[in-house]
Amino acid sequence: MVISVSIESENRDIENSMKETARALLKEKKVDVIIGYSKGTVPLSSAPILIRNVDEVERLVWNNLCYINLAKYLVPRIPQLIDPEKGDLNVGIITKGCVGRALIHLRTENQINLENVIMIGIPCNGIINRKKIEKEIGENEILELFTSGNEIIVKGKDFEKKFSFEDYVNELCKVCKIKAPPKIKELQGSYVGECQEVSSIDDNFEDLTEFESKPTVEKWNYIKDTLQTCTRCYACREACPMCYCKLCFVDQNKPIWFQKTTEISDIISFHLVRAMHLAGRCVACGACSSVCPVGIDLNLINRKLEKIVKERFDFTSGIDASKMPPMMEYSMDDAEEFMLEED
Amino acid sequence: MHNPYIPKLTSIKDVVSENKVNDIKTLELEFQNDDDYKKFDYIPGQFAEISLIGKGECPIGIASSPTEEGTIKFTIKKMGTVTTGFHACEIGDIVGVRGPFGNGWPIEDMKGKDIVVIGGGFAFSTLRSLVVYLLDEKIRKDYKKITIIYGNRDSGEVLYQDVLEEWKKRDDIEVVLTIDREEKGWKGKVGFVAPIVKEVGPSSDNAVVVVCGPPIMIKTTIQVLEDLNFNDHQILNSLEMRMKCGIGKCGRCNIGNKYVCIDGPVFSLAELKNLPNEY
Amino acid sequence: MKSEIGKLYIELNEEFNFYAPIKVKGNLEFKKILNPDDIVLDYYNSKVPPKEILFPKTDILFEYKTDGKNVTEIIERTDLDEKNIIFGIRPCDAHSFVILETFFAFGDVEDEIFLKKRANSLIIGIGCNTPRSTCFCTSIEGHPFMKDDMDIFLVDLGEKYLVEGISEKGKELMSRLKWLSDADRKDIKKARELYEQAEHSIETKLDLKDINKILDPHFEHPIWAEISDICIGCGTCSFLCPTCTCFDVIDEMDQYHNKGRRFRIWDTCQFCLYTLHTSGHNPRDSCIERCRNRILHKFCYYPENYNMLGCVGCGRCIQLCPVNNDLRVIIEKLNSIKTKKEEKVSA
Repeated sequence: MVISVSIESENRDIENSMKETARALLKEKKVDVIIGYSKGTVPLSSAPILIRNVDEVERLVWNNLCYINLAKYLVPRIPQLIDPEKGDLNVGIITKGCVGRALIHLRTENQINLENVIMIGIPCNGIINRKKIEKEIGENEILELFTSGNEIIVKGKDFEKKFSFEDYVNELCKVCKIKAPPKIKELQGSYVGECQEVSSIDDNFEDLTEFESKPTVEKWNYIKDTLQTCTRCYACREACPMCYCKLCFVDQNKPIWFQKTTEISDIISFHLVRAMHLAGRCVACGACSSVCPVGIDLNLINRKLEKIVKERFDFTSGIDASKMPPMMEYSMDDAEEFMLEED
Repeated sequence: MHNPYIPKLTSIKDVVSENKVNDIKTLELEFQNDDDYKKFDYIPGQFAEISLIGKGECPIGIASSPTEEGTIKFTIKKMGTVTTGFHACEIGDIVGVRGPFGNGWPIEDMKGKDIVVIGGGFAFSTLRSLVVYLLDEKIRKDYKKITIIYGNRDSGEVLYQDVLEEWKKRDDIEVVLTIDREEKGWKGKVGFVAPIVKEVGPSSDNAVVVVCGPPIMIKTTIQVLEDLNFNDHQILNSLEMRMKCGIGKCGRCNIGNKYVCIDGPVFSLAELKNLPNEY
Repeated sequence: MKSEIGKLYIELNEEFNFYAPIKVKGNLEFKKILNPDDIVLDYYNSKVPPKEILFPKTDILFEYKTDGKNVTEIIERTDLDEKNIIFGIRPCDAHSFVILETFFAFGDVEDEIFLKKRANSLIIGIGCNTPRSTCFCTSIEGHPFMKDDMDIFLVDLGEKYLVEGISEKGKELMSRLKWLSDADRKDIKKARELYEQAEHSIETKLDLKDINKILDPHFEHPIWAEISDICIGCGTCSFLCPTCTCFDVIDEMDQYHNKGRRFRIWDTCQFCLYTLHTSGHNPRDSCIERCRNRILHKFCYYPENYNMLGCVGCGRCIQLCPVNNDLRVIIEKLNSIKTKKEEKVSA
């Protein structure tokens, strides 16, 4: 991962250009509302914000704590983005790479009309792993966090600590190859800053090698260990743009497929089945892990499934709106070795 | 203190199918323990949480009147998992009962007044309880004129046809039945409940009117009643809400600062107008 | 002395279930402890509140046996009479137990499961020397050193703890701990200094005076759409709130062994399915109604029903909301309705 010399000056440039573009879009009435990020009221956070007029554009920010995947607010569309008479409002959306992937994949799944969505594409250089930093700092309140050079500086009442940016971004961001949204004709809008054009991803998933080499018992223990503190608040599900089902499988009661208790068997069932439902659909934004109140990191599970889908079906979600996700179609060439007996 | 979440066990004494399409049944339950029956001291309009232990629990209005001794009755429509389970039950099966819950119809305040009972469709369940109670020989004299207006989609949907026949024969109660559309052989009125109420034109003088039914029927009927000069305190409604615990603890039936399972389900229109529009 | 916590544990853990704050996978949680060395008292606050000790995320209501078709026996809980020590909780959380108890005891039918456990529990709390920037207990008539809701109150004086018996039960327990030494004037003075220091360090001040009077007439105000626009409808704020009590009831059947359980799990009015009727009608169909309900419930309906606010000022919802929908910002916006109204009147 190439880190630029000064992350925060890069961010500032992006932020300024982003605001300029946002102002122009609102002034020219190309959009009715812009969804972006604003400064969080607690350190290590940011808050999504809806901007409706040019004066409010000042409130938009861009930094390495913009972890929410904004595509979430479009599917299903929140009532604040619908006009009771005119219908869907024209929406501008601050789009980092994974948000762009989400929009494209939602288009592929026919869940979104991109004609009234205008993206302000942004190259993201990674989201800081706030839970990891909080765990490192321990029981000391963090009052301020900022980037300087290629370091993250964390300040409290009577301490100051430095972390390497490279090591303390989200695990998924460390291996991210799509920093800016892919350029496809369906996703209209403009780019701000230096955005690489991406039409395919060259990912060798080598970050998984260590985990894959572990014996099964250890892998299972890792999964149990990671998930055991889950409170079943479903913040991960609600933050995920791909979890848009009106009735989630875990809420169904005709029949009850899986229980909702905090017993380890029920917790594992929920998370593993949800991961399966996201196979070939997850856009690796890491919002699920960023929002978990107890700091559960689902990256390994989702990434492993992404690898399997890539190997078996040569598919990566959210890059090419014309390619059908493998779980939504079949081909006569699909691998069948798990079904057929060896001859 | 006792654990309010433990159901008392009852066994099914009888199952009666109430409508032609057979998706509404009345279960007659007998407590396994006589003490439990004695403690189940209820008034019309209350409900109980009945369970198929292992499947789930649901709040159902008590259809029998406390004057019908020995057993309690619940009329259940097949809608969700638990109610479908109830429909598959046979005589002798075990049903858990917790209750009675809710405030019930205000039978004390209703004394000495005319009672107008307006019901639509399946909601007639707790109205049956009320009317059977009012007609009890020891109780009838405490109330004045009783008028029932009961509407249904078609004749196959009319519940409790056995007791309705008995009531029709009496001279101390007026029974008006109506169905939505003309049907061969139907001797009652034809039309939606609201216009029939207008036609019957009950007097609002010293009267209480009880309305139960689907939301659209309630809305249109209340308009007619207001035209007939009934005020908000005279119109009573039994509210349907999602409920789980029945004792005001799980929070599901909470509207404003009220819990439908303890402050209701019976509310006067005046009280409903004070509540936020979240029901 | 701080090292004597172990003595306390050894003395009490035979008779009581000893719950204390420990670190589990980097998170501070209140758990029944096996080793007093694990206890952490130098902390801001846990993420999951100690309500989970008496009102667990998964709470069995009863167990039952069947004959393959019908229930044959209902087996009630036998552990409700066990005695508990709830050690090392903060004054805001101690106050939450008062609110929880009021709620579960309200009305004709009381929740025996919670109340029995509560009656058998002793609270040994500890004052907050350094409240967090998001704490606002003083705005709800609380205080980082409020001890009224505890049985025994501890103050961290640095090398030792000042121990004070507050309730009769607390004083009686203290008298059993013969190894406690008397506090001297210096200790008490230090405690007083820490008290004032803590009070002054509370930064967040919310104006909650008469908040219910502002909220009551403004049910349909457009500000609710503004306040809830980024809410994603998860359960974080409610689950981590020390006073939220909503739950769902679920039956479970093990048909291979002819037995089962009915239990309750934490639920929240923020879930879209919470008020969904089987008919399909949903009285609270969007985040607007659901966010509004939560605020009104805590700041309007609780005062109306129980004469107390349904909030203890712990700041967990502010710290942990995934979209940073900050309660302080919400209250400020709601208070601005009052000032706008006053401006209108004077103009």
